[in-house]
Amino acid sequence: MVAAREYSWPVVFSVLLHGAIAVALLLITRISITPPRQSIQPLPIDAVVISSQVLHAAQQVQQAQAAARAADVARAAAAVEAQKAAEQQRAAEQQAAAAQKAADAQLAEEAEKAAAAQRVAEAQKAAEAQKAAEAQKAAEAQKAAEAQRAADAKHAAEQRARADREAELRRQLAEEEHVNAVEASPKRDQYVASLQNAIQHAWIRPPSARVGVDCLVEVTQVPGGAVTGARVTQCNGDAAVRQSIENAVYRASPLPDPPDPALFQRNFAFRFKPND
Amino acid sequence: MIKQLQFMTVIGFFLFCPQAWAEFVVEVTRGQEQAIPIAVVPFSSAEAAAASFDVAQLVSNDLARSGRFKPMDRKDFIDEPHTGASIAFDDWRRLNNDYIVVGQLQPQGEDHFNISFELYNVLNHQRLLGFQINSNRAGLRLASHQVADMVFEKIIGIRGAFATHIAYISMLGTVPHRTYRLIVADADGENPHIVMQSNEPLMSPAWSPDGQSLAYVSFEDKLPSIYVQFLKTGERRQVSARAGVNQAPAWSPDGKKLALTLSTRDGNLDVYVLDLATQALTRITDDPGIDTEPQWSKDGRTIYFTSDRAGGPQIYSVGISPGDRPRRLTFQGAYNARPRLSPDESTLAFVTQEDGAFRIATMDLKGHNDMQVLTKGRSDVSPSYAPNGADIIYASRDRGRGVLAMVSSDGRVQERLVSSEGDVQEPVWSPF
Repeated sequence: MVAAREYSWPVVFSVLLHGAIAVALLLITRISITPPRQSIQPLPIDAVVISSQVLHAAQQVQQAQAAARAADVARAAAAVEAQKAAEQQRAAEQQAAAAQKAADAQLAEEAEKAAAAQRVAEAQKAAEAQKAAEAQKAAEAQKAAEAQRAADAKHAAEQRARADREAELRRQLAEEEHVNAVEASPKRDQYVASLQNAIQHAWIRPPSARVGVDCLVEVTQVPGGAVTGARVTQCNGDAAVRQSIENAVYRASPLPDPPDPALFQRNFAFRFKPND
Repeated sequence: MIKQLQFMTVIGFFLFCPQAWAEFVVEVTRGQEQAIPIAVVPFSSAEAAAASFDVAQLVSNDLARSGRFKPMDRKDFIDEPHTGASIAFDDWRRLNNDYIVVGQLQPQGEDHFNISFELYNVLNHQRLLGFQINSNRAGLRLASHQVADMVFEKIIGIRGAFATHIAYISMLGTVPHRTYRLIVADADGENPHIVMQSNEPLMSPAWSPDGQSLAYVSFEDKLPSIYVQFLKTGERRQVSARAGVNQAPAWSPDGKKLALTLSTRDGNLDVYVLDLATQALTRITDDPGIDTEPQWSKDGRTIYFTSDRAGGPQIYSVGISPGDRPRRLTFQGAYNARPRLSPDESTLAFVTQEDGAFRIATMDLKGHNDMQVLTKGRSDVSPSYAPNGADIIYASRDRGRGVLAMVSSDGRVQERLVSSEGDVQEPVWSPF
């Protein structure tokens, strides 16, 4: 389709050219004494409509050459005819017809030759255009292939990243689910009970720690249970109560290990709320 | 879509997880009634030996006697720091101490001393106290009790009562050559001073609210009469020598009146209030039974007393306003007598009879009147609260001899006090 469009203009052009040559030969034959005028010019080539720039330039050159060659051929033929006509001026009038016939034959032959040349040029042009098109196509194919490869690589990377992310999320989810599971399991109660037991054994309760006292102490521990911080935050007890509570946490250090490592809490709180 | 939801769930989970973890709270509802481990390091002084006074030992003894502390044995010390800067906290912690007291005793000229001390929390290295006390030699004991008081209050949260006094009656010899003494000693029973001595019975000492005077019953004139004696000068005066019984004086909270027990001509005992300045007498109870052993409420509007109006002795309370009717307080057991109100007025201590023995009991006045028997002796009588309410001193018997004993108001700790010579009775704890 592209090729057909590309050749349509040269075809039009060559048809017009043949026509022009025929007209020129007819004119020369009629006014044979008249020297050929320079008014005979090749038809202007309008190449703007040709799509490919490269192709256009090549075609212009080739077409101009072809036109020039055709013009030369036409000029030479005209000159030979003119000379023959002049030498055989005195020859018989009937010879003119023969000459005319011969000239016609000659012209036809020349035209045929020109047409052949034109065909060769066109074939060449076509071949070159084809080649250029193919080269372009190849380049484009390569480019496309490279783009595809890049896209593929990118896609693959994205796929991998996504897979990784999902795997990580799945892992974390599984971990959370495990934590949830153990937190919902009796192991959590076990851990709470062991912490409770440890702290209740360590708490030397001052007389002011009566029923109604409610104190929260924030605890920081490291794996292994060593207490690194204990701070009473909310407390309605007196200074002795606060101190006894902080001391209880330190005295209980190291705190017991959880029955499952997933239950370990770096930061948690004890709530002191004596009930008797 | 499902995958997306799953993803959102995971994100949501991570967003809300931290809060959930911060809510990991372990409830603590019980504690230990055990004594707090503390190290009281001997106070340094080149001349401490010359002063021949061991501040740290006395502080240590006070704390141990309270039952709330377990002072570390000196022979287990691996170091003797005298200032906070030289305390190797980790070492003291390894020796299982929660607290440490360090200090210095420095002589400053003739008969003058400077005690400096610091209290540290071994567990968090916090400095809790740092004080200096100046004293002459005679005051070193009192100054040491004051150190103990400050340490006690800082850690236990209630005021220490080591620097207070006790008064009691001591009997020496046997009838007819018996000597009665009214004695005032330090709260630890040491350092006794004779306030009054007589060959006739002395009874029922009572501290004035300012701690400067004692009221007591003396039979020096063969008949009971009540005296008030100013301790610093020894000056005294007779305030009640009415016909019949004059006994059981108790100071009103403002120190201007005495509640006491008097008898009518027919021998009926009732509680009266005597105005010390005007000698005006107000009758508080009027019952054919025996009403005695009065004790004032802090606001001076109520008097607690013992009465046998219902048969056996029980404890009652009555307003001092005329016409107020007595209200019975004790219903458990056949014998409850000698009511003594705790300083915060939440509890009543008294003598109860249990299995044929006399024991010290307490009753919660604000709750459900639950009675708790604190002692296990055969004859534990005359309870008297320490001014901080932490302990009750009482008279007990050991191999037929009267001795002084102490029980913490919750009954956890019981102590025998070192007793001066003789048969000891009726201890009463001074105010602060």
